[in-house]
Amino acid sequence: MQRASASDVVEGVVREALPGGRGGVVGRPHEGAVLVRVSRRFLKEFVKRLIKGFGRRGATVRYSTGVATDYRPVDGSFRMAHVLAVDKLKTYLIVEADAPPPHPRIPSITPELPAAGWAEREAADMVGVEFPGHPSPGRLVLPEGWPEGVHPLRKDFPYDRKLGVAEALEGGTYVRGFSSPSPHSPGVEGRPTALIPLGPYHPALHEPEYFEIFVDGERIVGARYRGFFVHRGMEKLAESRMTIDQVPFLAERICGICGYTHACAYCQAVEAAARIEVPERALYIRSILLEIERLHSHLLWFGVAFHLLGFETGFMAMWRVREAVMRVAEALTGNRKTYGMNLVGGVRRDIDVRRAAAVVRMLDEVERGFKEFCGHALKLGEVVERVRGVGVLSREDAVKLGAVGPHARASGLAIDVRVDHPYAAYGFVDVEVPVRDEGDVLARILVRYEEVLESVRLVREFLRGMPAGGLRAEVRDLPPLRVGVGATEAPRGEDVHYVVTGRGNTLYRWRPRAPSYMNIPTVPVMLEGERLANAPIIIASIDPCFSCTDHAVVIDVRFGVRRPLKALVGGGGPLG
Amino acid sequence: MGRLSILAEGLASHVVTEAYPKAPAEVPEGFRGRPRIDGGRCVGCGACANACPPNAISVRDEGGFRVVKLFLGRCIFCGRCADVCPKEAVVITREFELASLSREDLSQEVRLALARCAVCGRPYATLREVRDVASKLPEGLRPLAYLCPDCREALAGKYVVIGRGL
Repeated sequence: MQRASASDVVEGVVREALPGGRGGVVGRPHEGAVLVRVSRRFLKEFVKRLIKGFGRRGATVRYSTGVATDYRPVDGSFRMAHVLAVDKLKTYLIVEADAPPPHPRIPSITPELPAAGWAEREAADMVGVEFPGHPSPGRLVLPEGWPEGVHPLRKDFPYDRKLGVAEALEGGTYVRGFSSPSPHSPGVEGRPTALIPLGPYHPALHEPEYFEIFVDGERIVGARYRGFFVHRGMEKLAESRMTIDQVPFLAERICGICGYTHACAYCQAVEAAARIEVPERALYIRSILLEIERLHSHLLWFGVAFHLLGFETGFMAMWRVREAVMRVAEALTGNRKTYGMNLVGGVRRDIDVRRAAAVVRMLDEVERGFKEFCGHALKLGEVVERVRGVGVLSREDAVKLGAVGPHARASGLAIDVRVDHPYAAYGFVDVEVPVRDEGDVLARILVRYEEVLESVRLVREFLRGMPAGGLRAEVRDLPPLRVGVGATEAPRGEDVHYVVTGRGNTLYRWRPRAPSYMNIPTVPVMLEGERLANAPIIIASIDPCFSCTDHAVVIDVRFGVRRPLKALVGGGGPLG
Repeated sequence: MGRLSILAEGLASHVVTEAYPKAPAEVPEGFRGRPRIDGGRCVGCGACANACPPNAISVRDEGGFRVVKLFLGRCIFCGRCADVCPKEAVVITREFELASLSREDLSQEVRLALARCAVCGRPYATLREVRDVASKLPEGLRPLAYLCPDCREALAGKYVVIGRGL
C-alpha cells in the first residue's frame, strides 16, 4: 500500500507540472509506474518543471531509459517514451510524446537530463526520430557507412532485409573514433596531445570497445569512447518473429555474465503489462538465482580486477571460490550460465530440498573462502594503495550522468532497484545497501565486497522463507498494446526492460537497457587527469559489459571504401 | 603478514581445475544437453517447432511424409521442446560433446507417413497423429479423424448428429 501512495505523490507532481489542455495523466500502466503523455512542444518545459517539482519534495529524477517506437501501423505516429526513475517515490514515470511522420521531430531533453543523451541518439539511429536541441547529435550505434534514412527498428523495415552496397561517406577519410585529428583533441598550452588507442578489444575483458585517450606525457588530458561494435539485432528479432515465451531465452543471451537478470527484467515487464500474478514460490526462486548470479559475477569481477592490478594470485583465488557458485547454478538450472529458468508467469524448475542443501553448502564455502582471502588481500599495500584515490567520480557527476549500481553507490548514491523498486521476492526481505562516499576505485572494490557478503545472507534468507506453491501462473492471450517496465538490480546496476505487447502473444516493442549503458559515459570523466597506467583498472572498475550495451547495434563496415554491408548479420569490428 | 597467510591458504586449497578432456567430466542430473527425438513416439504435431526459440526444429511435408528436423547447430539447449511435447518424445540428454567435422552429425530427422483425407485424398496430418486422435474420440465420431479439416467441417454437422444419436 505504501507503494501505491508513493505513486500518488508522483501523480500529484505530474499534475502540477502540466498546464491545462497540454496532455494529462494517462494513468498507471501497472504498479510502480505512472504514464503521462504530453505535447512535444511542451516536453522540455514539462521535464524542467518535473525536476523542480520533485526537487521540492527531496526526490531526484534519474533518467532510466528512452524508447522510440514506430506506432504508424497503430495510430499513424512515432512516439518517444522517456522512462524516468523517481527512486525515492518507488516509481517509474513514463513520459511520452508523439511526432507525426514523415519527419518526426521531438525536442531533446538532454540539456535538462544529460543522461538522456545516448538514448535520444540511439532513437535517432534506429527509429529515425530527430531531437532538435541535442547538444551532441550524431550517430551513436549505426556506422557511418549506413545509408541515410534507413532505420532498422521502423516497422516497415523487414527483420531479414539485407542491404546492398553501402555508400561510403563523402570524402571517406575521417572515421569517427578511429583517426586523428579528433575534433575533440584537447591541446595543452598550445602543444598538441598524443593519442593512445585503447581497444578495440579490452585487454582484460575480451570485449570490443575502444577508448581514445589523449595524453600529455603520462597524464591523461581527455578521453573519448567509441563502442557499439557488437550487433545482434535482438530487439528487431524479438519484435518480428518471436513469441513472449521465446524471448526470455533471447533476453538471457544479452549478457554472458548477468544474463538471468535480463530474463527476469523482461518477464517482469511483460507480467506487469499484462497484470499476471506470479506465484510467490517462483518469485523466491528467481531471487535466489539472481543473487547466485550476482555472486558469480562479483567474484568474476574481483578476479579480473586483481589480474589488472598484476595480482595473479588474487585472480586465481577468486575464480577458485567462484567455481563452487557455478557448480551449484548447474545443479539448480541445468547449466552453469544461461540458466533458462524463466518463462512469462514464473519459473520452469523447482528448488527441492536436496538442491537447497547443495546451495547452503556452497554459501558456507564461498563465504569462508571469500572472507578469508579478501581479508588478507584487501590489506596488501600493492592492492589498496594502487587503487586509493584513483579514478574518482564525484557524486555530482554520478547524478548528472545517471550512473547506476555499485559504481553509483561507491560515489555516495544510495540507489538499488531491489530496495527502490522491489521486484521478485525482494519486497519480503530487508536488503542492506552498502554506500561509500570516496568515489574511487577502492570504494568500488569495497562496495562489491560488502555486496558479496550481503548476497550470501540474502540467499540464506530466501531459502528459509520460500513458501510452498506453484511455479507458474497460467498465461492466456495477453491484451495487445499494453506498456510494461521491468527493472532489476543487475550485478552492474539497474537493468530496465520496456515492452509493448503485440497481438497473438508477441511483442510490439521491446527495449532492454543494460546498466553499462549508463556507466560507460562516466569513464572519460574518471580518466581525465589520471596517469595512463591507471586507465585499464579505471575502465574495469565500473565492471563494464560492452556486449550488453551494444546489443542493438549494427556494424561491419570498413570505411572509405565501397564494400558490401553485411547488415543485420552478427559480425566483427571495423578494425578486425 | 597478509602475504604469508595468502601463501598458506593457497597451499592448503584444493585443485579446482578438472583433468577433462583427459578424464571424463561429470555433469549433474538435470543437465540440459543434447535433445533427442524418439522417432517411435513422435506424432509430428509440431509443438516443439512452435516453441523452439531459435528455430532449431523445423517441420515440413514432402512426398507423403512429414519430416521433423532438429538441427543442433542452431539449438540453444533450453529444453523447451521437451517441455511442450505432448507425447514425451523429446528427451533432454546429458550429452554435451557435440563437436564434429560433419554437419550431418548435428541433425536428426524423423520421417512420419502422412494420412490422406478419406474424402478428398489430400495429405493433412501424420497417420500416427490421426490414429492417436481417433483413439480418443467416442466410437461414433472416429471417422471424423480421418478427414482433412475442410471436409470435416463440411460433414461435421451430420456426424455430430449421428454420433450423439440424436
